[in-house]
Amino acid sequence: MKKLLIVLVFLSFGSIYAGGYRVALQGQRMLGMAHAGLSVFNNAETAFFNPAGIAFLDRKFNLSFGVSGIMSHIKFQNADYNWAYETDNPVGTPVYLYATYQATDNVSLGLAVYTPFGSSTVWHDWAGSDIVNDISMKVFYIQPSFAYKFSDMFSASASLILAYGGVSYNKNINRYLTGDNGEKTNAQLDSGMTSAAGFGLSMAFKPSDNLSFGLNYRSSVTLDAKYGKAEFNNVPAFLSNTLKTTGFSAKLPMPAELGVGISYKPMDNLLLAFDYNYTYWSIYKELRIDFKNGLPPSIANKSYQNTGTFRFGAEYQLNDNMFVRAGYYFDQSPVTEGHFSPETPSLDTNNYTFGFGYQMNKWTVDLSLLYLDGKERTDYTFVNGEGPSAHKFGGTYVGNAIIPGIGISYSIK
Amino acid sequence: MKKILNILAVLLVVLSFTACKPEFSEPIGEQTYTSGEADFSNYVAVGNSLTAGYTNGTLYKSGQANSFPSILANQMKLAGGGDFTQPYMEDDTNDVGGMTLGPVTILPQKLIIDASQGGVDRINQEPTMDVSDVHPGPYNNMGVPGAKLFHLVAHGYGNIANLATFQANPYYVRMASAPDKAVIEDAVAQNPTFFTLWIGNNDVLSYATSGGIGVDQNATNNIDPSTYGPNDITNVNVFGAVYQQLVDALTANGAKGVVATIPDVASVPFFTTIPYAPIPLDDQSQVDALNAAYAQYNGGLAQAVQAGLITQDEADIRTINFALGANALVMEDEYLTDLSASGLPSIRQATVDDLVPLRAMSVIGVADPNNPQLVNGLTVPLEDQWILSKDEITEVRAATAGFNQMINGIAASKGLPVADMAALMEGMKNGLVIEDGSTYTANYFNGTNLDKLLFGLDGVHPTPRGYAIIANKFIDVIEDAYGAKLPKVIPADYSTFDILPTNQ
Repeated sequence: MKKLLIVLVFLSFGSIYAGGYRVALQGQRMLGMAHAGLSVFNNAETAFFNPAGIAFLDRKFNLSFGVSGIMSHIKFQNADYNWAYETDNPVGTPVYLYATYQATDNVSLGLAVYTPFGSSTVWHDWAGSDIVNDISMKVFYIQPSFAYKFSDMFSASASLILAYGGVSYNKNINRYLTGDNGEKTNAQLDSGMTSAAGFGLSMAFKPSDNLSFGLNYRSSVTLDAKYGKAEFNNVPAFLSNTLKTTGFSAKLPMPAELGVGISYKPMDNLLLAFDYNYTYWSIYKELRIDFKNGLPPSIANKSYQNTGTFRFGAEYQLNDNMFVRAGYYFDQSPVTEGHFSPETPSLDTNNYTFGFGYQMNKWTVDLSLLYLDGKERTDYTFVNGEGPSAHKFGGTYVGNAIIPGIGISYSIK
Repeated sequence: MKKILNILAVLLVVLSFTACKPEFSEPIGEQTYTSGEADFSNYVAVGNSLTAGYTNGTLYKSGQANSFPSILANQMKLAGGGDFTQPYMEDDTNDVGGMTLGPVTILPQKLIIDASQGGVDRINQEPTMDVSDVHPGPYNNMGVPGAKLFHLVAHGYGNIANLATFQANPYYVRMASAPDKAVIEDAVAQNPTFFTLWIGNNDVLSYATSGGIGVDQNATNNIDPSTYGPNDITNVNVFGAVYQQLVDALTANGAKGVVATIPDVASVPFFTTIPYAPIPLDDQSQVDALNAAYAQYNGGLAQAVQAGLITQDEADIRTINFALGANALVMEDEYLTDLSASGLPSIRQATVDDLVPLRAMSVIGVADPNNPQLVNGLTVPLEDQWILSKDEITEVRAATAGFNQMINGIAASKGLPVADMAALMEGMKNGLVIEDGSTYTANYFNGTNLDKLLFGLDGVHPTPRGYAIIANKFIDVIEDAYGAKLPKVIPADYSTFDILPTNQ
């Protein structure tokens, strides 16, 4: 387990700029059908989507793991100043690992390790450098679940969430300050890895073979980074005693999420699924960084709003071995007007998903492809609070991402 | 199976191409910026230090690089603008400005903040530019620091032989196409398609910064500028005639352009930083001693009233009185009735209507080393040059208003738009909120207001950041008048002045 954690920490996450810093890539089978998995109970991915559903898996032991490759682009422009920039984001590679085990007729156990939050945005030498040069956030959850089947139709589950994560963030001190070398003075903030706990509750209801309902709730988790380290680069000589390496603290909230889903099989080989996710983004009120050496705190008002996401997915079974999948979902940006910041440039997005599965005895390989089309948005944010020393930064943003993924599942009776 | 895999592969390839780069509905492109009815292909800027990029007490290379015409020309390049040349300064190798004449420094190097002293100082490096190192122009930037309006039409203003008699300008000596060419001739010889003309500031400013020791040539009706001293106020009729001449010359070939008004002197921090009552007294015995020192003068004033030499009003104005708290400076005032025959000096205490120039900082409150009782501004009245008195301000304002009336009238007759720099600078006094939401003021550096500063350490000239705001103002005017569209600049991206740990 320890080895696995280390591996996860070194994996990076691409900025997906839909739904804040939520990265909805938790299973290639479900992703092929719009990530609408709240009421689809057919492999280990259920340990994430709806842990109560693991009680309805028809095999005793199920294992799934997978990886996605996020290739995202964001462009920014403002004709008032002839600004045109684009991100140079690294390819993000979020991973997941799920296992379920049916201990008794009624009791099933699940374990999910996944990366629900993260972002990685890199802007080079650009007009908004006093907000962000680059930022990388990595959060993963470890969620063991206990599911109990109350009847052939109903099960419920409770789970514990252990969250680990951290942020690395670089921005310029302000728009004009340079070191004696002429390079802009910047701050490099590293929160280090920190942990926190939360919980999950879920229910599964399967009134018939071709109809299922699911409900899932994951609590909010706030990572409280108390031992961050701030370093300053290109500091002019006259500030060398002020801008010294120092500690900082910051709180990173991961919002709670509630989901309800329904799936229906109109034919033996066709599965339709519909999910609605509600994310409690209003927990993200501000990004506040308190420095230990008496520097004034850095406070950015975020004022996120709760968001809802509708997901429609379908899976068609071609033959004994092969499945094709497709889906669509609309993801609403949690960013309210006047708080649109390039460090998390979250646009409303139209999302199109495709998937293909090949099943052979105990093994299944699932391929998925997500195309994320961000809607153009013209907005701004305040820098340095909203008082007399503040200024506005804004323009028009547009973005997209293409995200292929591969997942492997293994099941035994 | 194979078929499906093929379809998937094709889908993936197609998607990865179409998805590669998102596109804006209206991307910035070649059509975004236009010159409208104007033609920016050959822009010439005519003016003084404000056009040259002078800041922090001198003209230095990196300051010149951020002159407002240079900033403006850069933006114009997106709408048909051509190359923009500025006077040669490659020999300002240490970027400190100033100028030498052989072994003698004739213009000082730039002002900096010495953090170890917490104050303003000339940087401790020698100027490297010599006035004899001539690089003949003409240049697109025809801003000549120190030039008054009538200097632009003067022949010999660029002749090194005239430096000794102050009939030449060291900056223009280095840049003139030939020693006897006038500035306006060099400007017009370039056949500009577009121009900015911002001139006339020094025609009132040098009088004001000198504390009014020059002559108001409006009072004398002297219309021969060749007889003017360096600190005189230019006659308004001379101003009108020469301004007309300049505008006629610049528009002769049909060039379009913008002219700019002259700001009120009281809008610059040079005159607004030192209060008229800067001296706090917290010791009653001190107050009593000071009042005792002026008892004889105050008594003399009462006698002068009785003798009918002055009115009671004037006696009240002249009466000197100290109290606990902030006290007004004692100053000479040549506009008071001359009572020297009665043994009474022409002195009074300053009021809110007088302005104290920044350079008086080195004088006010300084005691005579041989007699600590003699303190400038308290027991020793400040000389005329250390105060711009109420009556001098009236002269300056009357002339400024007259100049601006000429500028507006001539511009209107030629169909030229006016960049109202007077209004812009007036707006800064109360805090100017610009397009990006930043707030700027016309204050002087006080250690904590770096974010909001537009003026440099000389208190008169904007910093590059201030010139960025000025360039944006010109852009506004050009867009309104000519239907052009140009991008603006962000002032905060521009520098202010050097803050050094020590001035070694």
